[in-house]
Parts: sequence; structure tokens; C-alpha cells
Amino acid sequence: MIDDIRVGALIAGSSIKRGNKKTLVFIVFVLSLIFMNLVFLPSMIGGMTVLFTGFMQDYPYGDIVIEPTGDNTYINNADNVLQKVRAVEGVRAATKRLDVGASIEHKQNIVGVTVTGVVPTEEYDISQYPHIIKEGDFLGELSRDEIIIGSIISGTSTTFGEIYDDLGETRVGSLVEVTYSNGVKRTYKVKGIMEGNFELVDLNALVHYKEIEDVYGLDNGKATSVVVRIDEAGTEEQMKDKIREAGVNEQIFSWADKSETLIRQAMQSLGAIDVMSKFVGLIVGAALILIIIYINILNRKKEIGILKAVGITPRSIVLSYAFLSMFYVSLGIFAGLILYLSLMLYFQANPVVFYETMKIRPVIDPMLLIQSVFTMLTLSVIAGTLPAWSVSKESILKAIWGR
Amino acid sequence: MILIQDLKRYYGSGSTTVKALDGVSFEIKKGEFVAIMGASGSGKTTLLRILALLDDATEGKYTIRGLKVSSLPEAERSYYRLTQVGYVFQDYALINEMTAAENVYILSMMEGKSKKESYKVALEALDKVGLKDKHDRVPDELSGGEKQRVAIARAIAKKPDIMFADEPCANLDTRNSEQVLDVFKDLNDNYGQTIVMVTHEPWHVRYVDRVITFQDGVLVSDEWIEDR
Repeated sequence: MIDDIRVGALIAGSSIKRGNKKTLVFIVFVLSLIFMNLVFLPSMIGGMTVLFTGFMQDYPYGDIVIEPTGDNTYINNADNVLQKVRAVEGVRAATKRLDVGASIEHKQNIVGVTVTGVVPTEEYDISQYPHIIKEGDFLGELSRDEIIIGSIISGTSTTFGEIYDDLGETRVGSLVEVTYSNGVKRTYKVKGIMEGNFELVDLNALVHYKEIEDVYGLDNGKATSVVVRIDEAGTEEQMKDKIREAGVNEQIFSWADKSETLIRQAMQSLGAIDVMSKFVGLIVGAALILIIIYINILNRKKEIGILKAVGITPRSIVLSYAFLSMFYVSLGIFAGLILYLSLMLYFQANPVVFYETMKIRPVIDPMLLIQSVFTMLTLSVIAGTLPAWSVSKESILKAIWGR
Repeated sequence: MILIQDLKRYYGSGSTTVKALDGVSFEIKKGEFVAIMGASGSGKTTLLRILALLDDATEGKYTIRGLKVSSLPEAERSYYRLTQVGYVFQDYALINEMTAAENVYILSMMEGKSKKESYKVALEALDKVGLKDKHDRVPDELSGGEKQRVAIARAIAKKPDIMFADEPCANLDTRNSEQVLDVFKDLNDNYGQTIVMVTHEPWHVRYVDRVITFQDGVLVSDEWIEDR
């Protein structure tokens, strides 16, 4: 076996050293594209996932969200829950919210929305709401007759404008009438228009927490959710346990739990595209590697016949093509990596823009790279071995004659 | 050394059967330099390929040093080709991406010798054919005669029991042919190398001990050359 390896390496080595360099460059180029095909789209999809999950953290759910248990509409003593949560080590900030259904009317245009009652000063540490006001200002502690509306509702969204109903040309200072789900009507002045380029945000409206308490006659600090931000990303599960241990008996979810539910379909679709793309990429890659190596071997069929005729074992010949194939693929992976990292650098600086403002930056996933390298190398061994094995089993004379 | 009994090689079947060899029997003793002659299609190359285990006989028996090589399994046939037989092809059959030395020493490496030892063996073989100084040239940098001499060096480097040469001068001019035949003669005269050479050139007869002539797959004459 050692002799087979030594002779296989000698054959492969001389073929690399003195073979046609243009062919080598072409093969490596094609292989680098195959590698790119395996890793690029998943990186883009990874970027989209990060973007969407980022939205979930930045707006509705924070890092951890606490919701009422069972059929309860509200967390009954949200202030007490907040007190316990804020005392947990590793919690950066927490706030309570009240989500209710309502319709907003302006100049005979009516739109159904979710109105969220927020504690304005606390939102600065919790969400991006205060930072996405594209016209006017965010709510303040005294904002009792004021409302923030999403850009889709206001009719000023450049992203989703034509998809949803809106209030027409609502601007800062316009008066809108809100009819809550309990029938109470209130008139608010639009204090600001927010745009997060995310439907869950831009179809929403924000008022002061106390306003919802008033409208629904709530007391004792009820809330539909308590939103928590933590110090260290990735420790959500441990923090959930700590919050439970602190005596919070409500339902506790991480942003991932909620995202999974809410955007499961989108993520599943993206995941399916990702899997399909990897699968197709792999099949195409495998076929291309096989074809490249097979053509290479067909061109050397005579050589294989000669080697067999002078007594070189079929195993050495097969090994030589496995080595050759691994060499080609290793160079292809190397070139593909350079190409891939260059593109990653480019897209970090020039992200793909969706809906004009959603910037998708591809994510480099080391596991994906390792998997792809491993897959390509495995394919190379198979692609190099199979055709060589098949040719080496042929009759010596047929191989020499190239038949 | 080589005993061939009623050897047959048929191609096709029924009315289209081609009898390339049709019951050939003869013996070759160690140290002989034999020319197998005949017109194109007479079966001489077929015989050589069968003896070198590059092809199989349809019927008949042949032994080399008493060993019935035709019935060896593939792994042993490969080993036999590597260690017992040297084969020189009409079109040199060198690996174009290997130097002259590599073309020769790859076989020694296959036999388990170290690279250094194999290289030494290759240089000795190339020296015997007068090409030691061109050991680092690839086939494209050599003339036809030189290529054929590298092929001979490859065949003799492993010191085979027997060397087969299939029209080794077919692609060479007279001067290069003489150089190649001189190498064969030297190997036969000075090293006792048994050589079986297929040729159709009458003037090659002056280099050999014995001429076996084929016609339509049948041995028609077997003559000793008294005065070569």
C-alpha cells in the first residue's frame, strides 16, 4: 500500500508539475465557483436571518419577553414583575407594554392597527422606537393626547406604501381619531411618524402607557408584556432561568422563541431555499467535479493503459487521480475562499439593500465554511477515484487505444 | 524458458470469426534474441501481447519458466508485468509529463525500492542505452530514437527475465533504428537478455539469432541465423 501511495504521488506530482497550466487554471477557476456557489447564498440568507431576528429584538420582544400565563389578558402586577426582573444580575433594562386593538380614522380613512402603550423614557434603553422617528418627535412623559404612528399607517412609507391601506397624507400635527376595541374613542395629535422598514413596526401606533390604562380602566400596573434587555447576547436561556428563579411565574420567552413562532414561516421558507440551494449546489458541484476529472481521465486513458501495461498497480493509478483531484479541489477551495472573502468584504461595505433601507450584510458562518470545505474534499476523492477506478478496470489494450 | 502450445486467439464469433492466432506452438530458450516476422495481420503482435499478459488467448497453453502465467489472477499478472517482463511499444508509450528518469524509476518505486535507489537504477539503465545525460528531459524534448531508448531503459531497468519489443523501430529512421537495435544486441550479447522482437523489416534479421515467421495466424517457418 505504501508503494501504491508513493507511486500514486509521483504520477500526480509529475502531472501537476508538467501538465497544461491553462487547463489547471481553468479547472481551479471552475472549482472556485463551485465552492462559491456552496457558501455564498447561505451567507446571504444568514444575513437576512440576522436582519429579521434583529428586528424582533429591537422592537416587539427585546431579548426576553414575559407574557401572561394561560388565558389571562394581562400580567396583573407588572410593576412587581419589573422589580424582580430588574434585580436579576445580567438584566440591562426592562419595561412594561400594553398592546390593544384599535382603528384609527383620519379624513374618512380608517385603518385597523395595534396600539402599544409604552413608557416613553424606558423605551430608549429597550427598543429602537425612539430612534426611528422620521418626522416629528418621540413621546415624552407628558404625552397624553399624542400618538406616534407607523409610516405605513400615515401613508408616508416609501417601502410598503402600495401594499397596505393608510390614512392618506397624515403628517405631524394632524389629528386622528382612535377607536379602541372597547369602543372608547380618543382624538390624538400625531407627534411623530416612525419608520423601521418592518411591517410589525410601521403598521403599529404608540401612545403613552397611562393612556391605555385610562382607556381600559386598568390599575395596579397591568401589562400585556414585559420586555427585557440583557447584558450578554447568547445567554437568553440562562437569563430565562434566572428570572424564573427570581420568582416570576408568568410565561417567559426569548426573542428566538417568539421569532420562531412569528416568523417561522418566513424562516422556514428561507431555510428551505437555503437547503435547496445547498443541495442543488452540492449536486451541481459533484457533477462538475466528476465531469472535470472524468474528462481529464479520458484524456489520459492511454497513459493509464501504459502504466498498467508496464506493471503499475490499478490501486496506484486510482490513488494518483485521487491525489490529483484533491490537489485541484484544494486549489479551487483556496481560490474560492479568496473570492468569497473578497465578496464578503465588498458586501459588508456595500450591503444589499431591500426596500430601500433594509440593508442585508452576508454573514460568514465558520461552520458552513468547514462543512463546505469538507464536502468539496470528500467529493474530490469520490470524483477522482470513481472514473479512475472505472478506467483502470478496463482492458489494457482498449485503454491504450483510447476506446 | 517460454513454451507455447497450440495457442489460439480468435476475435468475434460465427462466420465473422477472425483467427489472429490459430494453433501456434514453439519454444524460446533463455538468452535467445528472436525476431517474429510476418505481414501485417499475420498475428505476430497478438502473440506478443498475449505473452506479455496484455491480452488473453482464446485457447492453448503458454508457460514462462514453467509458470502457467495465463491463469494468474489480475493482481499477480500486474506483478508479473512489473517484475518479469519488459515491454517496448511501437510508439514508445512514455508518460509525457515525466522525465526520462521518472519514466524509468517509477517501476523500481513500484517494486518497493526507495526513491534514491530507484533513481540510481534508472540512471544505470539510461546509461546502458546511452541517455544518462538526458535523464531530466521529458519525452517532448527527445528525438524518436531517444524516446525508444528511454522505453528500452524502462524495460531493462527491472532486469526482466524476458523482453518483448513490438516493432520498436517502426517510427524510426534507419540511423535511429540501428541505434535501438544496437542496444538490443548489446543487451543480448553482454547481459544474456532474452529478447522477442516483432518486426517486418528484413534487414533487422542480422541482429537476431532466430527468425520465426507467421502467416495468417499460423507459424510457417522457424529459422536460426547462423551468421549474424
